[in-house]
Amino acid sequence: MAETFRITRAAYLESLGDFRKFLKEHCKDVNAETLYDLQLAVDEACTNVITHGYADMDPGSIILDLELDSDSISITLTDFGRAFEPGAAPTPDVDAPIEERELGGFGLFFIQQSVDQMDYKATEDGNKMILRKLLKPPSSAGLH
Amino acid sequence: MLKYFRVKSQPEKVVPDLGMISLSLLERDAALPFTIRQLNNLPENIKRRLYRGLIPPALLTRFGIDPIQWTGANKAPLVFVNAEAQSEKVLVTARSSPDPDDEFFALELADNSLNGIELNLIVLNDPTQPRFSIDRTDDGQPTMFGTLRRNLKAEEDAKQAGLAPGQIRAGLNTSKIVFEHIETFLSTLGHRAYFLEPLTYASAWVFERRGFAYVRGHKLMDDIQRGFQPGGALSQCLDDGSTFRKPDQADTVRGRAWAIHDGILDTIDARWDKIRMVKQIGRHAGVETFPQARY
Repeated sequence: MAETFRITRAAYLESLGDFRKFLKEHCKDVNAETLYDLQLAVDEACTNVITHGYADMDPGSIILDLELDSDSISITLTDFGRAFEPGAAPTPDVDAPIEERELGGFGLFFIQQSVDQMDYKATEDGNKMILRKLLKPPSSAGLH
Repeated sequence: MLKYFRVKSQPEKVVPDLGMISLSLLERDAALPFTIRQLNNLPENIKRRLYRGLIPPALLTRFGIDPIQWTGANKAPLVFVNAEAQSEKVLVTARSSPDPDDEFFALELADNSLNGIELNLIVLNDPTQPRFSIDRTDDGQPTMFGTLRRNLKAEEDAKQAGLAPGQIRAGLNTSKIVFEHIETFLSTLGHRAYFLEPLTYASAWVFERRGFAYVRGHKLMDDIQRGFQPGGALSQCLDDGSTFRKPDQADTVRGRAWAIHDGILDTIDARWDKIRMVKQIGRHAGVETFPQARY
């Protein structure tokens, strides 16, 4: 059965450290690379909520729900600011010469690169970004 | 930044406008949320059955009220529902006697512009406790619980008696069970959340304990917590200059609430205004902006 944990913080940049710390505290058994990916994805997603979803208002909350399963880690970020339309996001051209790249657009790219699944929905009980990271099976190297 | 992750120009409605509730509509989809307006358009006795779920029966029997008939010992009606057809609001009130001043329960739910649910009003007063007229001035003008104008003498007496701003009488200590009933009622309707605007700092703190998160104002609550730390900007306002600004008020929820009610947020260029909270049905957000607080 999955273990679940929750933390809620105000949507401002100073809260990102609490989310990072929370992930580190509860994802003790994952390797450093996986933890880094999760922290990066959460950082980017929360920054977007803070700077756009709650823009021009005294910000509300971001709720981080963490679900630890034997083969995956799921994170649901819920906020109550303005909703987004993620379908409208083109993938940035990371191969383009630096001077030809458009500014921005990399946050979503980083999230997509950091996790295996990303979903987003705006519902009556909040805007939810759902991130899922599969845990790689132990290496079979050395087994015969 | 997620430059291409655009903010929606218009939020979507929680509930489509479906018109009258009918048997076929009920059969169609058990998860389809209904609005208060749709309920209000039902026949009177159906409404009464549904809205009965908003008041805990144990709260009514505590005051000798029949939880089904809504009458007292002498058969006088003591529970009232205002839910007119076409209206988007329902107001349920209950009194321990025919005297309107003995009202101990008031609850108003309303549809918002997205067909979600607003908790406009919740009052849980103990009618056996002394009443403080913080809701009206000496010449009878309404104060809107001290937000429009203030009855300072009544407020001083209320504070002295241990009440928080906005309270006319001591509370019933039943908010937990009342919120459970509200959630059961709203989940029956198919809603996943409801919203409110806390009148005071003390009520926001109570709602945090009941599992609410913030749509607006979470940062303000954190700023208030910082401001009341020793040497903080709000602490420095507690200079013993009035009944509402005693130095020890920083240590309690009520104390802070009275000082905020008295206007000290000006010091940090803030106002107690437009704070908005949300409760996810069946879930506790775990917000605690005043850790280990004493009420």
